[in-house]
Amino acid sequence: MHPATPPTTDTPAGRHHRTPLPRRRLLRGLLAAAVAAPLMFGAAACGDDGSAADPNAPVKLSIFWWGGDARAKLTEDALALYTKKHPNVTFETTWQANQGYFDKLATLTAGGNPPDLFQIDDNYLAEYAARSTTLDLTSYQKSGKLDTSKFPESLWQYGVVDGKLAGLAAGENTQGLVYNKTLLTKHNLPEPTTGMTWEEHIAWAEQVTAKTKVPGTQDPSADYKAFWVWLRQQGKDLYKGSELGFTVEDVTRWFDLWKGARDRRATPTADVIHEGNSSDVTKQLVVTGKSATSWVWANQMPDLKKNTKDELGVVAYPGDPSAQWARASMYWSVFKGSKNKDVAVDVINFLTNDQEAVKLLGTDRGLPSNLDLRRVVSDDTTDPAMKQSIAVEAELTQKFGTSPQVPIKGHSKVKSELIKAAENAQYGRATPAAAAAQFVEACKAAIA
Amino acid sequence: MALTTAPDPTRRGPGTDRAHATRRGPGLRHSEGLAGYVFLSPWLIGLMGVTAVPMLLSLYLSFTNYDILTPFSEVRWVGLANYERMFTSDPSYWHAVRVTVTFALIAVPLKLAAALGVALLLNRAWRGVGLFRGLFYLPSLLGGSVALAIVWVNMFNRDGAFNSLLSLVGIQGKPWVNDPDWALETLMVLAIWQFGAPMVIFLAGLKQVPTELYEAASVDGAGRFRQFRNVTLPMLSPVIFFNLVLETINGFQGFTAAFVLSNGTGGPVDSTLMYTLNLYITGFTDLEMGYASAMAWVFLLAIAVITAIFFSTGRFWVHYSDGEDR
Repeated sequence: MHPATPPTTDTPAGRHHRTPLPRRRLLRGLLAAAVAAPLMFGAAACGDDGSAADPNAPVKLSIFWWGGDARAKLTEDALALYTKKHPNVTFETTWQANQGYFDKLATLTAGGNPPDLFQIDDNYLAEYAARSTTLDLTSYQKSGKLDTSKFPESLWQYGVVDGKLAGLAAGENTQGLVYNKTLLTKHNLPEPTTGMTWEEHIAWAEQVTAKTKVPGTQDPSADYKAFWVWLRQQGKDLYKGSELGFTVEDVTRWFDLWKGARDRRATPTADVIHEGNSSDVTKQLVVTGKSATSWVWANQMPDLKKNTKDELGVVAYPGDPSAQWARASMYWSVFKGSKNKDVAVDVINFLTNDQEAVKLLGTDRGLPSNLDLRRVVSDDTTDPAMKQSIAVEAELTQKFGTSPQVPIKGHSKVKSELIKAAENAQYGRATPAAAAAQFVEACKAAIA
Repeated sequence: MALTTAPDPTRRGPGTDRAHATRRGPGLRHSEGLAGYVFLSPWLIGLMGVTAVPMLLSLYLSFTNYDILTPFSEVRWVGLANYERMFTSDPSYWHAVRVTVTFALIAVPLKLAAALGVALLLNRAWRGVGLFRGLFYLPSLLGGSVALAIVWVNMFNRDGAFNSLLSLVGIQGKPWVNDPDWALETLMVLAIWQFGAPMVIFLAGLKQVPTELYEAASVDGAGRFRQFRNVTLPMLSPVIFFNLVLETINGFQGFTAAFVLSNGTGGPVDSTLMYTLNLYITGFTDLEMGYASAMAWVFLLAIAVITAIFFSTGRFWVHYSDGEDR
């Protein structure tokens, strides 16, 4: 269907975002010649691909992401900047809230009408990559059209599924334990610190509950990212190849740990924990005032701050912080069947490596993946919540361990099964051991 | 793609041409028939494109491992594997069946009872009765609305309006919607509260009961209860039957409220995992669309069987008076 487009055809789009005009015109001339050749040989067989071969032909690129109004504005501004530099490329943007996003993306894909470029996260990357929905970006990376030279190695590698670069990190984040600073200061309580053991964290939370009457910590036993960090500290992992990286005994110990915490009243009651188990930022207990801490991603700090008057602080999850890693908060992926692959890849490159674009986007999708630009952005930022999350991540970056493999196909089911099993234990409907057995059983079916 | 657009040109094109050509000819009846179909065609195309074709397609998909993301051409035929899995090795499927049946068994009769009770009260000529009919019907207008479900969740939270009311009389409330023992019950109350639609139908039915029958009954010395049992109920039985069938089907299909209450998860701890919600999660979150299609077809058959049972028992208790009256 789509003959391989000769690499020369879109070079200007790929490398020279700030090419001065005269040079551009020259390049354009050169390109006309370069374009003519493939048109004569191959493109005649496949007329609809003509647009991809001519760099100045108008291209309308569809792009789809989840997020709120703020993200929409930033992204649209950055894309407008791209259009300014490449007047032939315009965008058809679609965005919506996280809930329902993946339903829509799947439906669009099924309807044979997926966006050229879309945002995706590690919950679904493997699902899409395993079904060859995403374009393998490796060749673009090798040719330098997709520049990852300034990325932390482990960050772009966290987009590799089965040896293919299925998505490029749009930003970096890591697990962050967010706490209510105002509340703690008011009661003269110490703030949690990075490196606290789990036992110390629970003891601290117990003390918070006793003094403030606000439960000290959200019970994160239903939270896969907390479970994951804890597993890595035990020398295990969420997945090993296409298998689970843990056993029923591990899960039992995890559930037991939190049963103990609940018994000591370090956490809220089961129904409140259930509220906090929602992925909705506005329902996190630290902002609804129902607990002193929430287990989130560090880059969610600014969003959380918008929902509370209290001062917030953020540290790493308990235990050895080297269990945390530079996680791609989300990726940009290109639909494999897109007619504008090359342009789409170039847009990704622009959004992650162009200084102006990255400055516009800020840390909305996580810390900028490009380390040079990350420095620029963090020097520039004025939002105190963002500053905090940058500071914590910068500190943790020194301690990060290696990235785990990208979660495998079936991961979204594993996540929801963990919530179900943990809540079964939280509501006292099952013992930790029984809930753990149920969870592992369900996981095996989910990833089979 | 091709499947949905295909009927369009072929149907409309030749249909109109032929109708036009034969209009002047002798076969008037024939051309009228065709004209009928032409006028029907917008609906027909809609039925074929939007309902029939996707339905048949889903029947086919239910025998495959279709996962939405894979193109149709690469879909693999798996025979009865999806159906086998449903009946033999999927505990959450049977859990969803249990939740749905419990919901329907409790919510439907109570909803009908509420509808009938209020209809009886409103079937009198007193001042302002029209206003009350409107007010009682109002919740049904909001039907499956998401907004209503959100309001419901907030009312029945731990610190919702309902618990505030309870605390006025000294009762310590529960976190109803977040308690796995009560979440489904909260949904049932929501469903029962929306009794307006069957109520209006009951009201219409009550108006049809001839007053002579009540007069005759009271002459015979029947009290109010006897009158209700021996006159109202039998005369109303076709309407009760109609409402029962309709509301049962509705009850089984409950989705919106459960989806909103649980954020689309069926939680807490699967307590609100209605059949349709489970189907949705299977198809769109877990991307097992082939399996979800199989669930949908079993669901369709189950509802058909239940409806058939209602119809077959109907002749023992549904009283159609039309024949005798004429």
